[in-house]
Amino acid sequence: MVKTSDKLEEELRAIFNADRLWVTVVWDDPVNLMSYVTFVFMELFGYSKERATELMLKVHNEGKAVVSTGSREEMERDVQRLHEYGLWATISREDI
Amino acid sequence: MTESGFIRHGANQYTAKFSDSEKEVLINLSEQIIELLGERSDHSHSDPLAAMVGITSHDNPPDDEVLFRLLPNAYSDDESAAEFRRYTEATLREKKRAHAMAVRSHLINASDGEVDLDHDSAMGWLGGINDIRLALGVRLNVEENSHETLELLKPDDPMRPVYAVYTWLGWLQDSLLQALMNDASENE
Repeated sequence: MVKTSDKLEEELRAIFNADRLWVTVVWDDPVNLMSYVTFVFMELFGYSKERATELMLKVHNEGKAVVSTGSREEMERDVQRLHEYGLWATISREDI
Repeated sequence: MTESGFIRHGANQYTAKFSDSEKEVLINLSEQIIELLGERSDHSHSDPLAAMVGITSHDNPPDDEVLFRLLPNAYSDDESAAEFRRYTEATLREKKRAHAMAVRSHLINASDGEVDLDHDSAMGWLGGINDIRLALGVRLNVEENSHETLELLKPDDPMRPVYAVYTWLGWLQDSLLQALMNDASENE
């Protein structure tokens, strides 16, 4: 195996990750039912009931949760679908 | 009053029976949502081509509190939020209007009060009912832990019937969710 220099490795990582530095955040909302938020996560992201419930509880208990990560374009698509179903969602840069 | 809310029939069908007064209330509320969302439309778009591809001439958030909850900002900074809104708000508005119209037309066509939904139309109903709950929630000023106060509204308080409808819609939506999720877990 060819060993790349640390510097090159770092550069490559930057190139491949440049596009994946955005997140979709869902915020707690006093109106949306817990069962509804869970179901929307399952339906929109294909998450299992367990994972969707975990994320819903995180939103509920901590006030917000990152529900998806990806390129800015992908996150904009996710946020628009979440807005279509009335969840309160925003796009932001991932904390590095 | 609907006795059981939505129940599942077979693999992919969800049924509920509505009384005449329930139908009337839900049709009326759906129409209000359709109308409210319509107010944001660009009737006098300066650029017909832009209008055709769903770009709006405005990028400011709605002044109306209910509309702002239905069409929220996607970014915390105003500049990115405005840019995103310009390219996406028209589409979002139309999707929401379609949900409300689906609820309305199902109910109008339910001569005996029985509504039958498949998975796709159930999604439309969930979104449609949710938008009505969000709108009523803003009007009722629902906040975390405010339910206790709302439960104690005086009989002559004009918000009392609004809260009753809000609670009923939450119950109705939850019955549809339970029916859908039982379904989903059986398919795993």
